[in-house]
Order: sequence, then C-alpha cells, then structure tokens
Amino acid sequence: MLHIHNLTVSYGQVVALSEVSLEAPRGCVTAVIGANGAGKSTLMRAVAGLIIPKSGQVTFDGSDLVGVATDERVRRGLVLVPEGRSTIAEFTIEENLRLGGLWRSRFHQRESIAGVFDLFPALAKRHKMLASTLSGGERQQLAIGRALMAEPTCLLLDEPSLGLAPLIVQQILELAQQLAIEKNLAILLVEQNAVTALRVARTGIVLNLGEVVLHGPAQQIAANKDLRHAYLGY
Amino acid sequence: MNQFLDFSLGGIANGAVIALMALALVLVWRSSRVVNFAQVGQAMFTTFISLWIYEVSGSWLLALLIAICAGAILGLVVHLLVMKPVRRADASGAIIATFGVLIALQAAAGMIWGGDPKAFVPPVANSGLEFAGRIWPVSWYDLLIFAVTSVLVLALSYVFTRTSFGLAMRASALNPEVARISGVRVSRMLILGWAMAGSVGAIAGVLIAPSATLSPNSFDLLLVFAFTAAVIGGLDSLVGAVAFGVGTGLVLSLVTGYSDASNAPIVSLVLLVVILLMKPDGFFSQSKSRVV
Repeated sequence: MLHIHNLTVSYGQVVALSEVSLEAPRGCVTAVIGANGAGKSTLMRAVAGLIIPKSGQVTFDGSDLVGVATDERVRRGLVLVPEGRSTIAEFTIEENLRLGGLWRSRFHQRESIAGVFDLFPALAKRHKMLASTLSGGERQQLAIGRALMAEPTCLLLDEPSLGLAPLIVQQILELAQQLAIEKNLAILLVEQNAVTALRVARTGIVLNLGEVVLHGPAQQIAANKDLRHAYLGY
Repeated sequence: MNQFLDFSLGGIANGAVIALMALALVLVWRSSRVVNFAQVGQAMFTTFISLWIYEVSGSWLLALLIAICAGAILGLVVHLLVMKPVRRADASGAIIATFGVLIALQAAAGMIWGGDPKAFVPPVANSGLEFAGRIWPVSWYDLLIFAVTSVLVLALSYVFTRTSFGLAMRASALNPEVARISGVRVSRMLILGWAMAGSVGAIAGVLIAPSATLSPNSFDLLLVFAFTAAVIGGLDSLVGAVAFGVGTGLVLSLVTGYSDASNAPIVSLVLLVVILLMKPDGFFSQSKSRVV
C-alpha cells in the first residue's frame, strides 16, 4: 500500500506539486487525472525517487521512503513505468525484460518471464528481436512487462496511453485493472485520457496546477459534468 | 608486395595495443559520457609501478597482474576524487579536468621516477621470427601482445553480452534512467566502468612499454592514436574500438614504412577529420538509431 502525504515538489521557484496527499491501496487502480502541466508526471517521478521532494512523505508498506534511492525502491516492489515507452531500443525484447529483475535469482527471473509471455503473447513470439522493431502498443506492453519482472506490489503507470490508438489504450488500461485484481497490486495510474482511466479505476484524483482539487470514487468524478468542463476539458 | 606485407604485419601488434587503449576510452565514455584524456597518464603511472615490480620480483606475469589491480584502483581514485565532484558542478568541465589529471600524473611520475627514459625489457624475445627461409617482422613478443589482447577482448565481449552484470552495464550506458527504474545500481556501474577502463589501459601500457622506453610522456602519441580509433569506431562501441584500433595500427605502420615515423600522428589526425566529416557518428555507434 502506498501513502503520499502532503507532498510538495518545486523546480527552483516554480511549485509543481503543492501538498498532495493520496493513497493507492492494493487490489485496485487509483487514477490521477488532470490536464497537461497539472503535475502528474512530477508526482510519479517523486514517488519513484527520481526527483527529491521539498517536503512531505511517501510511505510504502509502512516504511518511509525518504532518502531511499530509486533502484532500492524498485527492489522493494515499487516500480515506475515512465511516460513514453521507456524501453531500450538496442536491446532484444528478452534483454529488456531481464533488465527488470536482474538482482533476483535465475529461477525467479525465468518464472517471471514466463508470466509476462503468457500475458503478452506478441512479445513471446519475437523475444529475440530488437525492441526497436515493436509497435507503440507493443513497446508499452514491454515496458509494463519489464516492471512486472521486479515482482512488484505497487505499479506506477505514467500516461500509458500516450500516443496510442484508442483501441490499444482501452486494452492497456483494462490490463492495468486486471493486474490490480489478479495480482493484488496497488496501481497508481496517471492519465490525460480521463474517460478510460476513470472507467478502470476505483478512486479518482483530479490534479490541477499541482493541487488536488477533487478526490473521490471514480464513477462519481466521471459523472460530474461541471468538474469535467472545469478541469478535464470535455 | 613483400614490403607491403611486412609493413602490415608489423602494424598488427601496435594496433592491438592501440585497440586496448581505445577500448579503455570507450569504457569510460559509455559509463560517464566523458573522453578521459588522462587514460594514458593512468596507464603510464601503472606501467611505472609494474616496471618496479618486474625489476624487484623478476616475474612479468606478476608485474602485469599488479598493473591490472593498480589500474583499477587508479581509475576508481580518479573517478571518485576528481570526476564525480567536477561533473556535479559542470558537465563540460569534466573533459578539462581529465587533462588536469593527465598533467598531474605526468608531473607526479616525473617526481617519483625521474624524467629519464627507462627500458622495459620484454619477457620474451622481441626480434623478428625466422620462418620459411626469411625473417618476418613479427616477434614472439608481438605474438604475446596479440594473445593477451585477444583473450581480453573475448573476455570483455563475453561479460558484456552474456552476463547479467554486462546487461546492467550496457543498460546504464544506453539509458541511465531506464536502468535506474529497472533496479540497476547505476552509480555502481559507473564506478566499475572507470575501474575496468583503468585495468584495460594498464594492460595496454605494460604491453607497449618494451617497444619504446618508459618516461612520463612516452604514451602521449598512444593517446592520439587511441582517440582516433575510438572516435572513428563511434566512441560507444567496443567492436568499433577494437576494429579501428587494429586498423589504425596498420595504417600507421604503412605510413611509417613508406615515408617516415614522424608523419604517423599527422596522418592519424587527418584520417580522423576526414572520416568525421563523412560519418559524424563514427562507424559502429549505437546511439544514432535512438529516438529520444
């Protein structure tokens, strides 16, 4: 379970996140939505330990993560899938996957790879090919697959829909929901694509200019017309 | 034709050493995106240490092993004491800092061992072998150089392509952030990259020393040639460094043979400029295919 308490991040004078609090329980998707520049990616990078917050707390499974390096967070089961299909183009599909769990025993690595290939048969067929030969949607699958190699308990999905066709977006977000339920993962999903994100999430959080403006059941947020007009632009 | 063959064969051993030094430059470049001009200074320093061990113990193998260890340690020291603090302050200052380290190492070596050139006696004969009725421009020592280089290159390529450690190293070089979020301890990989480069450079130093004499400045030209080879090879490619290292050795040997040894550095630099104009990424660079 992931707890974020009064998290504040600033880039120099610019405050990117201001006292953001939320929690992502296991077994469901928690969606953070908001327009461009709302601070969504900053939130994800701060939780992953890639940027150091100015103040506030991130607790994961009961322990405070202040001063814990990104790689150590990954080893504890808190794994980020960053924006923009972050695979290594020069690596084969198999190498990209192996990278996600190198510190684990050979046996566990093999087990996890088999699990990922079950989930994404398209990757299994081409495991010796370079990641650069994959389509956008497949590369997103590969990035998620690599994160699963760490055997995480919490996944941070940063805009997995970016630049993908609507049908693929739907598939990827439904997959997030399926993973949360079947593997009992805590999934924190950041999305611009509010409609689909709220459909798969249990709880929704609306972020605007670095602040939480609304926090509640996803269905309620999806039904709130005024709010959609004001913050989500549809 | 015979002459051409002789010049070419004579260049291979030299080329193998250039390849090793180019490899060291590539290893550092891959881990920190810095061309380490101090690499030959580090190699010179460890070769002096190695020579001292060799004279005391009489064992060339022990001297080589000590050089490998000293190279790793010196690489660590340069990285932790100089490069890491400098890089934090200003990325472009790092390259200038490597020149500073080079000068400091040369000055230190001068103070410790003096500026007079010293002879490094090869462990096996360094005169041309007689075979099939003629004397060839290849000695037992050249064959030793070639053997050590081949073993080292094969071992390195095995480590990089077949082991988990190599995968982590390559990922850290290609995309540090993706490596980090995959659980790789990137800063540790960086340190290991410098240590490995230090060892490889140290081996190159010990191997080349008997071909000339050893003095604080005796590896300066090696830097020019290794830099040429590494850049033409694409700076981040181990294969490129080895291929063009040997290639540079061949070209230099031909230039020296047909004209004069003093032309070799000029030809090397002209070659570098011409090839960079035609192919700015080098021949084996992996990064050009990346989409950011």
